[in-house]
Amino acid sequence: MSSGLGGERKASASLTRPGRGTAPRLHDLASTPEAPRTPLLRSNSSFFASPGGSFRTEDEYVVIELGARFVRGGFPGESAPRCTLHFGPDQQRRVGDYRQWDPDSAKQRRNTKSGQGWSRDYELYRMDLSAVDLGVVEDKFERAMREAYNKYFLLDTKPRRILLALPPRMPHPLMSTILDVLFGHFQAPSITLMMSPILSAVGAGLRSALVVDIGWAETLVTAVCEYREVHERRTVRAGKLLSEEMAKILNAELDDEAQPGDPKLQVSFEEADEVLSRVGWCKSRPRSNRRTVYFPARTSPVLEEFEDAVEAPEPTVTIPFLRQDPPTEITVSLATLAKPAEKALFAPDTALNEFDDDELPLHHLIYRALLALPIDVRRLCMSRIIITGGVSAMPGLKTRILAELEALVQARGWDQVRNYGSASARHEQILRQRREQFELRRQESEDKVTQSLDPDIPRAPLPPGLQDPVDDVIDAKLAHLALRNGPPPESFVGGSIRGVETLGAWAGGSLVAQLRIKGIVEIEREKYLQHGLQGATKEKEVSVVPQRQSMGPGLGRGAGERASWTLGVWA
Amino acid sequence: MAQPFPYTYYACDCFDSNTAASASRAAQTPADDEDARTFDPRSPRSNYALYPLEHLLYCEDCQQIRCPRCVIEETLNWYCPSCLFEVPSSVVKSDGNRCTRNCYNCPVCTSPMTVSSLEKPTEPSATGGPYILACPYCHWSTVEIGIEFEKHTGITNQLSRIANGGKTLPTQKERDKERERRKEAEARGGIGGRDILSGSEDSPTRDGEGNAAPPGHDDIFSNLSAFYKAQMQAQTPSNPFSPHDLNFSSPSTYSRIMNLYSSTASKKQKREKPALMREAASALEGLALHDPASDIAAIERIKKEGWASTLSPARKLAQLNPHVRFDSELRPTASLLCTKRGKRCRSCRHILSKPESKITSTRYKIKLLALNHIPRLSLRALSPATTTTTPGPSHPPFNYNALRPGIPIHFLLHLSNPLFDPIRVTLATPSTTPGAIASRITILCPQFDVGANTDVWDDALSSSLSPIAKRSGDAQFEAGKIYDRGRNWTAVVLEVVPGFVTPLGGKRDEADGDVKGGGEVDADLLEIPVFVRIEFEADVSVEERGLGDSRGSKGEKERREEAFWTVLGAGRIVDV
Repeated sequence: MSSGLGGERKASASLTRPGRGTAPRLHDLASTPEAPRTPLLRSNSSFFASPGGSFRTEDEYVVIELGARFVRGGFPGESAPRCTLHFGPDQQRRVGDYRQWDPDSAKQRRNTKSGQGWSRDYELYRMDLSAVDLGVVEDKFERAMREAYNKYFLLDTKPRRILLALPPRMPHPLMSTILDVLFGHFQAPSITLMMSPILSAVGAGLRSALVVDIGWAETLVTAVCEYREVHERRTVRAGKLLSEEMAKILNAELDDEAQPGDPKLQVSFEEADEVLSRVGWCKSRPRSNRRTVYFPARTSPVLEEFEDAVEAPEPTVTIPFLRQDPPTEITVSLATLAKPAEKALFAPDTALNEFDDDELPLHHLIYRALLALPIDVRRLCMSRIIITGGVSAMPGLKTRILAELEALVQARGWDQVRNYGSASARHEQILRQRREQFELRRQESEDKVTQSLDPDIPRAPLPPGLQDPVDDVIDAKLAHLALRNGPPPESFVGGSIRGVETLGAWAGGSLVAQLRIKGIVEIEREKYLQHGLQGATKEKEVSVVPQRQSMGPGLGRGAGERASWTLGVWA
Repeated sequence: MAQPFPYTYYACDCFDSNTAASASRAAQTPADDEDARTFDPRSPRSNYALYPLEHLLYCEDCQQIRCPRCVIEETLNWYCPSCLFEVPSSVVKSDGNRCTRNCYNCPVCTSPMTVSSLEKPTEPSATGGPYILACPYCHWSTVEIGIEFEKHTGITNQLSRIANGGKTLPTQKERDKERERRKEAEARGGIGGRDILSGSEDSPTRDGEGNAAPPGHDDIFSNLSAFYKAQMQAQTPSNPFSPHDLNFSSPSTYSRIMNLYSSTASKKQKREKPALMREAASALEGLALHDPASDIAAIERIKKEGWASTLSPARKLAQLNPHVRFDSELRPTASLLCTKRGKRCRSCRHILSKPESKITSTRYKIKLLALNHIPRLSLRALSPATTTTTPGPSHPPFNYNALRPGIPIHFLLHLSNPLFDPIRVTLATPSTTPGAIASRITILCPQFDVGANTDVWDDALSSSLSPIAKRSGDAQFEAGKIYDRGRNWTAVVLEVVPGFVTPLGGKRDEADGDVKGGGEVDADLLEIPVFVRIEFEADVSVEERGLGDSRGSKGEKERREEAFWTVLGAGRIVDV
């Protein structure tokens, strides 16, 4: 992995054949006797120090994942974080203000602003820094981290390195605020920054993936190839929009229930969020979608099954609103609860040309991200779609996204051009021709046997493009050998839409830290405190491996130290 | 605020001077403004800077207030708050931050659970079992998730081996072994039976489907972890050429060193490309493909069981596994360990507080409280009806929650001195409170003296010395005069004219919508920022004097001063 995460830069050369035949498999390893060797992963900090000296203190990590609404923290090698801390008004109270435990306050509904202010009290930061007071971000983050350290980590005084999983494209002031807190208040000797999409891929066991992170403020689609981010797209259709939609629906339902003349009630952010996380769900793809035109050949009979018969009585969910005065409960049909996801994430009722660039529906966004990828990367990514993020836990959502995507791909293929305009007739014709030729060729290959039986008839010369490649015995043998010794064929799956589950970015970070993998962006405390983020070199990549080898074995400086550091993708 | 009115909060200095970054942010405002800036109790940052006096420590060396933010904490020992068992640090490291004995909290209501027996009197069992964990408060018990224990001790151990529903979970070791076994079987079967065409047919995901449920979060994690470890092992080849492990006794290292000096070309040839790690290919290696069946099952469950079967966010958060959704997936949570922590000043590293290491003792070895160094300010209403200091029982108590706008209210600001030296106090406050509701504030006597915190008997013995002691009736309402004074306290009058919640003349409904619907929870709160500066002459501290001449320099005094912001919560303004 160090070759992948750390230094392997020749990604394009190895895209199609990731190490075929070179990486021995586990069971092979057991049989090949190896020369005795020193234990792995031991690092001497200095040339003359004994190996045991500084080794233990240096390599203990804390893994922290940061999101817009939460921070997760824990230790490497553990499957789940020790704590997940959220940022809500209850966490922002003054010390000594215990009103959240006041029985009366449990009955009070917090007023939440709609629109811009919606959920503001529940976020750590926003990407738009003009609306963010960085001082407050610092305070919030510091308090959360203090709680994590004191209540959940229970560490001794030894400072620990930090592996910090950050979303890509963090604004620098925000990053430096966060690093200030970690270096200043928590005495971290060094911080390794990792991108959360890459860690999600690690958490799924993959090297390449299309990571769809349905986060809070925005959904981020990142194409990761060989542990490197190659493409990225985003949309605002994510958790925040979803919770606003849910609030709208709940408000409407409450209005229906209310007596006429009652004051208009607004559900609070918390209530909308709770309803969303408890009973929100996502419908499966509607069977007959007017807007989608299938290629007639590909429409499988399964898709034409009749729709779910409307169940009678319609299933409903009763949602209590304890904070309302008087406490009430409303009964909402289950179908209603699926509407917010439908509207916020897929927006099926809006024509595609009406969307702004930053508000594409999820499936279109994923499709476009895939479309923008080079063809070999696309092949890998499309069958490794990782859907993660807070919203992705909503039941049915992943299935729906994958189904929508599949349908889009079937309808459109991988054609960059969406509309041929006046030339569309010609395009259709070309497509038809191609298909016919394909059919022809298939028939021919089926007919081959009969043809060869009759040697008298001169065969029509096939155009070379349609000819079968000549089978090479050596090639076949090599392929067989590779299959036998190399990685199993499952790791080369590509070309079809397939979803892969991930354990999440935190678990990925936990794995990475457990294996003691050096990240590209590693910030030492002293260097950071001297120069701040300005101290980073402008080069986006500090190559780790070649540098070490050319310098000889860590003579000038410790092997773990680097002369310069970089911000990598965050630069 | 939830504290009963009136209350006092103290702002810690670290609020605006802790980091260079915040200083640079502050530099955006003009520099000379820095000192003149008034503290705004409604800025969101103030929530992180204000503390009740009882929560603050005081560093005698830095002569500054120290809040929880500006101390370094170090853990002295770990213990379970429920069984008060001290956990050694090695166990904390290996077993995590939770009690490994019988201490469990209810996953529903978080109260501590008890072990109870389910033994039927008709058929007594040898062990007295089966046992369950039951919550005495909400009556949730492990029966609801189908877990019963054989013994009443070692619950943690037993619980870790039972899945919800009563199935036995294999231990980590057994799981590892099982994984190895299956992997080997797969490899043997794979090599024998696999050829190019049917390679993908016998994928182990399908093998696994028949006999086992989909692997849980922990299983996948341990599979992945094992996979990555195996790959790393395979990656780091037998040539120990990494700069990490240098071994001069091995000939290969010599050859490498020789290579360093040879020409670059030959070096390039020598260096083989590191083999790429492959990705996980099967469930045994931690690959989990998306399975729509689980989605459908979850939706069906919501449809059938509705709201009650799902977990609220708080309950979900309390669970160890972050991906639970339904109440049948709840597990009792072992109680979190607590720590006893010593605190040091962040800037000078002196110990500010250190508890006794015995778990059951609540005493402290060292405790430097701000309470003993900072004068305590307290506010009390001087209701207009009763200007006498002894309100009769007939008067209703002053309602702090309903301050009427526009009508002046007199508060008594009481300042008591914990120091053994008399102090001179200067108070300052903005003339109107910051925020939407501008209330006018006047401190009638902003500068006064407070006596030393001498022996209580001094007061009694020298009562004649204090000139304005105990005058009932005609208390001072004049500007520039203090209201009352005692041995180590002084009271001055604070006049407040609460502002209007709705601007005068503004339309009521709109304003109401703005303020109430605007999300400002405490918009009607009347909080008065007061800057307090105290001056006093103190004995030169022992360290500065040096230990040698501690005898002769009794009269040596030094002038000291302290300055800090406080926020007085006076009450809530009602909307007229």
